[in-house]
Parts: sequence; structure tokens; C-alpha cells
Amino acid sequence: MKFDDQKIRNIGISAHIDSGKTTLSERILFYTKRIHAIHDVKGKDGVGATMDSMDLEKERGITIASAATYCEWKGHEINIIDTPGHVDFTIEVERSLRVLDGAILVLCSVGGVQSQSITVDQQMKRYKVPCIAFINKCDRSGANPFRVIEQLRTKLGHNAVAMQIPVGLETELEGVVDLVAMKAVYFDGESGEEVRVEDIPPHLRAEAAAKREALVDAASLFSDELTEAILEEKEISPELLYTALRRGTLKRELTPVYMGSAYKNKAIQPLLDGVTYLLPAPSEVENVALDMNHHEEPVVLTGDPEKPIIALAFKLEDGQYGQLTYIRVYEGTIEKGSTIVNVRNGKKVKVGRVVRMHADQMEDVDSLRAGYIGALFGIECSSGDTFVSPGINMTMTSMYVPKPVISLAIVPKDNKAQMAMSKALNRFSKEDPTFKTHVDPETNETIIEGMGELHLDIYVERMKREYNAEVTTGNPRVAYRETITQRADFNYTHKKQTGGSGQFGRIAGYIEPISDAEFVFENKIFGGAIPTQYIPACEKGFRQSMAKGPKLEFPITGVKVVIDDGASHAVDSSDMAFQAAARGAFRDAYLRAKPVVHEPIMKVVVESPTEFQGSVMGLLNQRRGMIIGSQDEGVMCVIESQVPLGEMFGFSTILRSATQGKAQFTMEFALYRQVPQSIAEKIALEAAKNKKTAA
Amino acid sequence: MVVSRALRREDNVIHLTYEDMMMIKKEIIERNPLLNLGFEREYILADGGLGAVLAHAGVGKTALLVQTALHAMMHEQPVLHVSLNDAVSKVDLWYRELFNDMASKYDSTEITQYWENMLNYRFIMTFRVEGFSVPKLEERLADLMQQNIFKPHTVILDGLKFDESGRGLLVELKEMAGKYAMRIWCTVHTHRHEPPKEDGLPLSFLHVADLFDVLVQLSSQGPEVYIKALKGQLPDSRQDALLLDPATMLIKS
Repeated sequence: MKFDDQKIRNIGISAHIDSGKTTLSERILFYTKRIHAIHDVKGKDGVGATMDSMDLEKERGITIASAATYCEWKGHEINIIDTPGHVDFTIEVERSLRVLDGAILVLCSVGGVQSQSITVDQQMKRYKVPCIAFINKCDRSGANPFRVIEQLRTKLGHNAVAMQIPVGLETELEGVVDLVAMKAVYFDGESGEEVRVEDIPPHLRAEAAAKREALVDAASLFSDELTEAILEEKEISPELLYTALRRGTLKRELTPVYMGSAYKNKAIQPLLDGVTYLLPAPSEVENVALDMNHHEEPVVLTGDPEKPIIALAFKLEDGQYGQLTYIRVYEGTIEKGSTIVNVRNGKKVKVGRVVRMHADQMEDVDSLRAGYIGALFGIECSSGDTFVSPGINMTMTSMYVPKPVISLAIVPKDNKAQMAMSKALNRFSKEDPTFKTHVDPETNETIIEGMGELHLDIYVERMKREYNAEVTTGNPRVAYRETITQRADFNYTHKKQTGGSGQFGRIAGYIEPISDAEFVFENKIFGGAIPTQYIPACEKGFRQSMAKGPKLEFPITGVKVVIDDGASHAVDSSDMAFQAAARGAFRDAYLRAKPVVHEPIMKVVVESPTEFQGSVMGLLNQRRGMIIGSQDEGVMCVIESQVPLGEMFGFSTILRSATQGKAQFTMEFALYRQVPQSIAEKIALEAAKNKKTAA
Repeated sequence: MVVSRALRREDNVIHLTYEDMMMIKKEIIERNPLLNLGFEREYILADGGLGAVLAHAGVGKTALLVQTALHAMMHEQPVLHVSLNDAVSKVDLWYRELFNDMASKYDSTEITQYWENMLNYRFIMTFRVEGFSVPKLEERLADLMQQNIFKPHTVILDGLKFDESGRGLLVELKEMAGKYAMRIWCTVHTHRHEPPKEDGLPLSFLHVADLFDVLVQLSSQGPEVYIKALKGQLPDSRQDALLLDPATMLIKS
């Protein structure tokens, strides 16, 4: 293993669904000689793309779990995380971005900046990941890379600048003109592996000169030397230009744009050059850990391999030989046989096998130094855990994990399936923090929760395939919530005398709605009306009440409880009595506080040919959707709307049949909104029915 | 009780108190930019009317029209905002920002509820400048109206290039306004290098000026942006000095 931090690149490939990320990864692996043959994403040749290692991924042609791999290009080691495109799997994208230093934003030369590109871009912004863009599918009819560059500027606000111009477009795509070297580059051989560099064709010279001027102009903002060279009309060397471009890219103030066609094997090698020239080495990125000994004070990590270990487990996989933990080392060096501590639970673990991953194959190594991504065997942990050297108490910044919005009851077919199912659920919930599972105490059913219909579908499918767990699923259930809309006072006395010492507690105060927290408890009691030792019991009682609304039994949010009076009894008062009093007080006040039901509203973005715009809007409208707007993009249009999740089940089938399969949509959680009265009544009826069935 | 009626839509339940609603509504009505300019009607334009706001780039044409739109939405009148420059999200941001500025002194929970309700009365459409035509807009509109999804009372058309579009397009637009009994407001970008005529109208606008029923001009003088009616106001009306606050882009008198 070589050790030169400047020659490591940890990159991700992020994009909208079907932009060709996995195809691009496949080509990168081929050109860097990690694989020796190219396979189709949809698995027509029966092999499937290398990065889509799960059977299901090969079958559906989408990447579900991101696989990590590494390859070498011109003396640089590149770690690549292939990230999923569907928004239901966004947690994977977020986790990948957390550990990466740079990214390639893949865009379709026909579709341009699509809805998911915007989501992915926001995530990159959140984690300050510098990126370069690759406009793929330049061989497609309707390809227009410069329109996409314009969209990068207008829709995403990137200072996008072309590094190349295409030689030919659509079916005529032959290669690209490199605007730094001012040479035309062609890709010969069966799989485009032979790079041929020639002079720029005469008909492209003027365009190339103009675009180069724009490139140099954009780069000059980041380099005084370059500005000087321009003013003095000196020759601008590629090194000078790359240095300036790199500075801009690392600051996220410039997005260099490459173009080509992964499927047709055009212009992938220059993109790899771009990764090595323009994306940062691990030491060039500021990573911050939180010092647990000093009130989580942020500490900037140096990336020194000699310092104590700080590493983040960002992904788990159940492999042939047990749990495989993907890890990024931020500081220190993890060696085979060394001892590390899981900060979350303080458990010490001994490092067994250390490997570098290449999709589902692996390579044993002795150590992983700061800046590297690899995997460990036999480490029990959850995704997002931080590992450190003994004596260190730091944690990597916690990741943003959205709450599940949909749930599904699953029932195993037999006892064998029950065992397999619990094993699978245990694994999945460890791997994916947005996937949750619990047993409903009333119906005794196992409930799985996640971020969308497809998200849960995939897990049910994986249960069957990977764990042989045959399960039947119930109807998906929406995660409704209850909240109150006005203040209500309470004055409740809990009194019970059943022989021996009784129970007594009186609590008075009020509940009122709040918008920015789930639950707030405020104690305004002066003079000891309720003795101080019972106050925590009061809070506990109120908190318990929040778990289930008294009427519809959905979790309650957005309530502030203030207690300002009460009474106790020297003998009969106890924690238990005050907890019961609090529960009674809440029940009493809740119905007077005009409770309402809130439902999850999804942001649904449909991309459709314009001729179907009317029918798509009709479909959304029928689903209680509020159409925010429509964007005309020539032959295609983008319709943005907000639709209740409860109305979205089976939407993909309906959309396909209404648009001859030409429209696609993405969906992500937007907000919780109050359910209209008529629907609330339906929900109440259903809840009553469920309660009856459970009884 | 006008406000309660305004909010008693079949499927929406709003929990604002009457007083809260009145306060917010009053505030927005006071902000209605053009009331003090001596126009006869509440919505300034009559059914089928065409109006325009003229100004140099960056002076506040969109901000002014978004406030007009908010005023209509407040009265439960559906507004279609057609933008030829900006993406849906950016147009939405204009509305959010201006509404939040107007209602900044009220409780955020109540404002959010109120805003959510107002959104039912707004629809944003964006076109590429080169792809825009009145028949295309009418086709899209027909899609919405036939399915009872949206029938606009007011249309805001932002980003049309008057010097390039010619008279034909505006004649079509006026016909469409009449056909569907809508009011259409346009933004007109005037050029700094082009001195206005005596009536305040730029030369490049004269060939279409007769098609408009109302013309309003924004002009920046020093740090202030003045709003002035050029056409359509009552003959003996007194034009109070109205300004756009350059910080918030809200109207102030």
C-alpha cells in the first residue's frame, strides 16, 4: 500500500435516477483496470454492472445500497462510493457525502438538471462537498450539454464552466475538445480504451477558442498569477490553469463541467483526469469532530496518521463472513490487531481483518491510514458509530436522519420465516437509520417503518431473497400525528383508596400548542404546592400521554405543558400517583384543546412530456394534491406539487398508464399538514375499526 | 363576516381567530400598492383588462406585482403567475419572502396556517422565453380549467420582452383576457439608455401602449423607488407618493 495523502481521492457519484451513474462507475473500473469486461446495468448479459452487486439491483437496474470500491488512475488512488439515485434511499446518499471529499455530479444531457439533481445538490451543499459535473448521454437524441450548463447556473446556482466541448453530438458524438490542452480527444478500440489526441477540427476551432476564453476568465478569479498572465498576454500553461480551477472547485465557487457518454465509452478518461486534478485530497478538506469531554465542542481534525484514531462507520453489510463495516479513517491509523473503542457505547473492540473493497470482492490490507476508506470484519456496531483509540472521547458530527413517514405490518409465513425475519430486520435497522421496526403491542404485528413505499418494498423483497423469510404484508399505513390547536386548562386530582396507603396527587396548569418543538414541559410552581421530588414524575406522566392520542391513538406532537399549582399528601403521594395524575390531567385537557390530525405531505415532482401535462395535473389533483407550479422545458415539462402520502399508494402504476410510461416522478417528505375534516372523519372511523379488530 | 367566508373552503379548516385574521388581512390590504394611486376598482383592472408595470431592470417590477397577487389571493381570488425568467422555486420564494415580511409581526404558527391556505389560490407556470406563446399558455390554462383545477382571476406575466414580441402577441393576450374574464398584468423592462417621452412612456413601448388599460411606472431616484400611475387612473385623482422600500421591496407611503 502506498502512502501519499495528496494522491488519494474519496469521491462519490451522485445524480438523478437513470442518469447513468452505475454505467459511469462501471466504465471507470474498466479503464482503471479493476475489471476486465463491461457489463450492462440492466443485466441483459446475465452479469449486471459490477457496482450493483445485489441481485435485486441487477434486476431493477437501480443501485440500492452504495457499494464502495477503489481504483488507481495515473498514480492516484480513487475510492468511489456509488450512491443510489432514488430519493427513498437518500439516507445512503447523505451518509456517502458525509465521508467523501469530493463528488461527480452526473447529469443527463437531455434531461438536464432534474428534481433529484436538486436534492443531491442541496445535500452536497450541506456537507460542503466540492464537485465537478459530468454531462452524460451526449450520444442521445436531443443532447445539449450547453443547455445543461446553463441550467446548472440558473437552477442550482453553480458557477459552471465547460472544460470540454463535444466533437459531434447525438449519434455523431466522436469525442471531446479539451479546452485546457486545446486538443481534440477521441476514444478508439472496442471499449474506447485507446485515447487518440489530435488537433481540433477546423469547424470547431472558433467555438473552442471562445469557450476556452470563458474557462480562463472564470479561473482567473482564483489566481493572481493567471490574471497576470492574461494581462501580459503570456502563454497560459495547463498547470497554471488547473491550479486556478482547483482552487475555485475546492472553495465550491466553481464547477468544472466534463461531458461524454459512459454507455458509448466516450470521454471517461478525461473525467478521471479531472478527478485527480480538481477534486481535493483528504488533507485538503476540513473535518470536524465533537469533543464529548468539553460539551461537544467542535475540534478540527488534522488528518495526521500518527495521531490517535478517529474513524466513522458509515455503512454495514452482511457478508459471507459476518458483518462488514465500511469505515472512513479521519485521523490515526487502524491496524490489524489494534484496539478501538465505539464512542456510542464505550465498548472496546479488537480489529480483525481489514480490507479494501471492490464492490463485492475484497482485498486484505494491514492497515487503513487517515484519509482512507475501507472495511472491517467482525465489528458489532451500527451505522454512524464513531470509533476512536482508547482514551479519546470524540464523535464525528451526527448525521441528519429524517423520521419515517410510512409503516407496514408484516406477518411471517411460519416459524422458520419468523426467525429469518427477525434476523433480517435486525440487520436492516442497523444498516439503515431511516428503517425502523417495532412490534405493535395491541395487534402483536411486526411493523416496519421507512421513507416511502419503494423503500419498504425493497426491504420486504430483500428479506425474501437474502434471508429466505417469506412474509405477507398488510396495507401501508401513513404516520399520522395529532396536535392541539388551542390552550386548555386542567386541574386534575388523582385519588385512590384501596386499603393500605392510597394514591393522591393534584396537578393544575394548562396545555397549549407550540410549533417548533415536539414537547415542552414547564414548571411554574412556587411555594411547593407539588414537592420538587414529584415534578419529574409529573413530566414523565405527560410524556407518556404524548405517545398516543386519547381519541385516534396517533402520536401527539407540538404541545407545551405548564403546571402552576397542585397538591400532595404526606402519606398517599408518590411518583406513581403524580404520573397517574399527569396522565389524567392531559386526557382531561386534550379534548378541550381542539385536537386535529396532521398527515405527511410529500413533495411530488413529475417529469412528463408536455402532451400529458393536463392528465398528470388531473391525477395529482384527484389525489388532493396542491400543484405549486409547472415548468415548461421544451418537449418535457416538470410539475411540482404537494400531495398527501396517504393518496400516493400505487401512483407509479397509474402515472405510467396515463402517460404511456413516458413520465417519471420523485417523491420526498415535505411537511406535516392538517388533515381536512372529511378525511379526518374517515381516519377516525378506520382507527376505531382497527382498535376493534385488535380487541 | 368576510374573512370567515374567505376561509371556509370545503376541505380546509383554519384555526385563526377572527381578530388575527382581520389584522393580517388589514395589513396586506394597506399594503395594496396601487390603491393610493387613484384607481377606481379594488383590483385596479376590470375583467378582461390589461395592465403593465414599467421599470428598469432590478427596480422592483416583480415585487410590486407579487404584492398585487398576494392582495388578490387574500381575497380568495386565484392568481396565475407566469414567469419567463425564473424557476418555480424562485417565484415561490418571492411570494414567501414578501408575505413573511408583511406578516412578520404575527405568530409564526398562525402565519404558516394562513399561508398554507393562501397557496390554494396561486399557480405558477414557467416557460422558456423562446418557447412562450399565447396559444400555448391558453392550452395549458384550458387543461386546468376544464378539469376544474384552477381558474385564474388575475394573471401575472413576468419577463415578456416587449421590443421583440411585437403587437400580435399582446393583441392575443388581450383577447384571451377578455375571453376568460381575467385581468392580466405584465412587467415591462425599460432600458436606461432610452429617454422616456413626455407622458413617461419609453419609445419602444409606444406601439403597444394603447392595448393597456392601466400603466404604472417604477422609477428609482436616489435611494428611493417611486410608484406612479401613467394611465388608467381617475382624471381628478390625487396621486399620493408611494414608494417601494428598497430593503424589503414592500410598498410604503
